Amino acid sequence: MFEELLDDIAQNSAFRHIHPGTKILLGLGSLIICLVSPAPVVPLISGVILSLVLLIPARISPLVYGELLLAPAIFTAFSIIVLLFLLGGGDVIWRFNPVPWINLSITTGAVEQSILVLCRVFGCSISLFFIALTTPMTDLFNGMKRIGIPVELIDLMMIMYRYIFIAYDQASEIWRAQIMRLGYSRVGESIRSFSMLCGMLFITSWNAGEDFIHAMDCRCYDGIFPALDIAEPVRMRSLIPVVLYLAGLSGILLVMTTRIVIL
Amino acid sequence: MKVILEARDVRYRYPRGREAIKGISFHMRRGEKIALVGPNGAGKSTLLQMFNGMIRPTSGAMLFDNTPIQYDTTSLRQLRKRVGYVLQNPDRQIIAPTVYQDVAFGPANLGYDEQTVRQAVALALRQVGLEGFERRPPHQLSGGEKKRVSIAGVLAMDPDVLVFDEPTSGLDPSGSEDLMELLDELNHDGKTVIISTHDVELAYPWADRAILILDGRILQEDVPDVAFGNSDHIRMAHLSVPTLLELSQELGRRGFTQPERKPRSVLDMIHIIENLLHGSCRNPAPGTISVCNVDEEATSSLSAWVKTRPGLAVGAMGTRAKQRASQEQLTLEFTYGVIDKCILRALRGQDSLILTTGSMVGRVAVRVEAYCRESGNIISVVSMSTAEQPPVTGLMDEEVRQNDHPH
Repeated sequence: MFEELLDDIAQNSAFRHIHPGTKILLGLGSLIICLVSPAPVVPLISGVILSLVLLIPARISPLVYGELLLAPAIFTAFSIIVLLFLLGGGDVIWRFNPVPWINLSITTGAVEQSILVLCRVFGCSISLFFIALTTPMTDLFNGMKRIGIPVELIDLMMIMYRYIFIAYDQASEIWRAQIMRLGYSRVGESIRSFSMLCGMLFITSWNAGEDFIHAMDCRCYDGIFPALDIAEPVRMRSLIPVVLYLAGLSGILLVMTTRIVIL
Repeated sequence: MKVILEARDVRYRYPRGREAIKGISFHMRRGEKIALVGPNGAGKSTLLQMFNGMIRPTSGAMLFDNTPIQYDTTSLRQLRKRVGYVLQNPDRQIIAPTVYQDVAFGPANLGYDEQTVRQAVALALRQVGLEGFERRPPHQLSGGEKKRVSIAGVLAMDPDVLVFDEPTSGLDPSGSEDLMELLDELNHDGKTVIISTHDVELAYPWADRAILILDGRILQEDVPDVAFGNSDHIRMAHLSVPTLLELSQELGRRGFTQPERKPRSVLDMIHIIENLLHGSCRNPAPGTISVCNVDEEATSSLSAWVKTRPGLAVGAMGTRAKQRASQEQLTLEFTYGVIDKCILRALRGQDSLILTTGSMVGRVAVRVEAYCRESGNIISVVSMSTAEQPPVTGLMDEEVRQNDHPH
């Protein structure tokens, strides 16, 4: 199994018992504020504060958190390098002319824009990570039902969610069995082994599907997929800080926006 | 007892395939514990699937409650509500993303209202000892826990008959014993239980009746000591004779007279050996067995009570009793075959405490009384709450050892 699966972290987080609505409000709220902010400082503040919240009260392991942030960080770093050369405006800070027909330059405008993009990406990804690391999928299904997403769709999603783990287990079992018998030692062999893995996975999934219908029949399936609706009540203790935080962030956003407009 | 399930010369042939069941007739009485034993491919699973109408016999008839099973959707639903089927692989049976949703699946589809569903789920989870697991996703559970979830999913529909296909496969020895104990508990609560297995050691002491199946036919159907005692049949069915039974047979062959009733447990065997030795074993004054009903006893008193009695062994019968013991951080010496093990201890002159719940309390007294009547020993069973008088000091292990080896 995945050792550190996002969903497992969410299941074990200290915020597990806070009403999912509160957590989604915080995540989505800061996401929107980060997106609309014209100044880099707002998403920066939001990202830092949410990270601290995730690390200290929610007790997410710093190592795991760092690892998770690494993937978007690498991706963003490359994009920012491109953006620096791509965007223009303002004075030229640095110019690079290796040959007469190639002219690469970095301008003050490009630096400002890049910093803004960098901070937005930082703030937004952490807002999303906040939801992912504190709210398990199963709670999200409930939320979806509440906001009126069709039940049939949610039932399908729940079945798929359950079967991801089973299919993954089966795939890794087949893969291990192949590795043990040197299935991936040569390129040709690898291609053959991989196609075999896919074929086997298809057959086992087909069987699992038949067993699944069988299991539902055994328990008198009549089109009902029960929901788990034992969510905790919305507690003021968690909701008030969230509202205050979002209000504060909006306040900073407002001040920064007016300053930019005046300037 | 009333017959609840019956097979009348049922046969089944796979579509375009071989005949898996070649004419089987038998019946099951209400409240019975039956073990269907046979090698792989003997047709056990196929037969079990006929009980809840998953497979329709090609000829012959299946009867539930003396009425032939009808195979239309409505009748099948009614049948499956009353005959619960637990699949061998829990991963194939657990279909929902959380434990609660999976256990609620049956009751919700039976059209119960929200409140009833909740009650049914809570009760089923309590029966299998998984309270507090409602929101856990199944992929985070251990093999034994998954098995319990799949059992709870069936229990939530409150069936009369429980059918288990290889219930102990994939479980570690202690998990298997816990599971067999759970099956005992369910049977004690009035459910008829039928299992398929090739584990003769587990089936032998557990079952009321064993059915040996080979190649789609019944080889033998009898009480376990007769069914498992026929070495020809056992060999044909690729099984092995249970150790206790083999020991008793071997003693018999060596000229030691064996009682009519074959030993089903270590306790029975000890009794036979003691009789053979004509009481030449040294038995100290028997110890007492205290029984505590964990539903009634206040939380604080239990561990304190145990602490004041060094040398006391604690055993727990039933899932809730085991949970309570772990809550109170009591070390459990016995978790399976508890009454027999406590009787053995009492015979060595040592005291023990049995934690259990509700109706099982009476069962301890009944079992001990039956043993005493048969063996002529006297072992007193006291209820823990009335046993508040100064502790009846049992002998410590060392003292017993000293007594066993006089200078």
